[in-house]
Amino acid sequence: MTGQEPPRNPSGDDQPPPDTGMGMTAVAYLISGMLVWGAIGWLVDHWLGTKGIFAGIGAVVGIGGGVYLIVRRLGA
Amino acid sequence: MTGQSTVLAAEVPFPPKVEDFYLPSILPWGEHSVWLTKITALLWISVAIIIIFFLVSYRKPQLVPTKKQWIAESMYGFVRNNIAIDMLGKRGINFAPYLTTLFVFIFLMNLWAIVPIAQISPNSHIAFPAVLAVISYVMFIYIGMKHHGGLKYFKHALIPPAPWFILPLLIPIEFFSTFLVRPFSLAVRLFANMFAGHMLLLVFTLGGFAMLNANAWFLPFSLVSWAMTIALTFLEFLVICLQAYVFTVLTASYVQGALADEH
Repeated sequence: MTGQEPPRNPSGDDQPPPDTGMGMTAVAYLISGMLVWGAIGWLVDHWLGTKGIFAGIGAVVGIGGGVYLIVRRLGA
Repeated sequence: MTGQSTVLAAEVPFPPKVEDFYLPSILPWGEHSVWLTKITALLWISVAIIIIFFLVSYRKPQLVPTKKQWIAESMYGFVRNNIAIDMLGKRGINFAPYLTTLFVFIFLMNLWAIVPIAQISPNSHIAFPAVLAVISYVMFIYIGMKHHGGLKYFKHALIPPAPWFILPLLIPIEFFSTFLVRPFSLAVRLFANMFAGHMLLLVFTLGGFAMLNANAWFLPFSLVSWAMTIALTFLEFLVICLQAYVFTVLTASYVQGALADEH
């Protein structure tokens, strides 16, 4: 089986390979952006004794970073 | 709890619990012996089926394939052409054997969830998906390090093309999503799907009996519940195929990311 020649044109057309995993990567970037910077903001909240303002700012900034990463890594 | 419902609970174990996934030992020896349970047996049977099937069906390959050879070839051909080559290009052929093994193994392990008598998938225990995820994780990091040359891979993976002042914001996100979320989500996705599927079938099957025991007039509801079990079994089959495919595709996608050059 492994010795056989694969078809020249695997998907039957000349399209570039489809990035099937892209959706998962995009979702992972968004969620991890929010979680990482939200958690860092939460820690800052603990240090300063504020009641969650930095966690909120962190989550928003993190989502922004996630969107930026999606554009840079997955965009055309 | 009223007296009646405690009696019922003794007759039909309802609602199903997590303990229902820990099956008793088939061949007990020693104290607290759980070395050979249905889960272990299904794992061995799956491995044996895969090895024997592929050996037998490709022992004497014909130019015009026999039926068995055709099935084996179309499984391998599907993973190679539609996953490996589509996602990894020419290099995908090198990964096709592993991806095919992964796909067939996960598919068969999942399939036990709806095979009569077996009725539970080993993948509904997190240990099996976790080991598979660790293999994929170690593999894509190793391939990345080999392709880019040692630590340069981590520079490539962690530092996105962006101006320097925004990098401190992005590197933690990259680290978290690439090196922490990936193995975790791979394992949990497969495990949770198989766990929930088994739980769902248990709820509807046992629920039918529980209702019937509570009151004989509930028979129509029990019948509806059992009809739902049959319908959900077909849904389960869809989930089984989908999860095997998703695991394989994501592994291929991670390898693709590790092999990608700067763009």
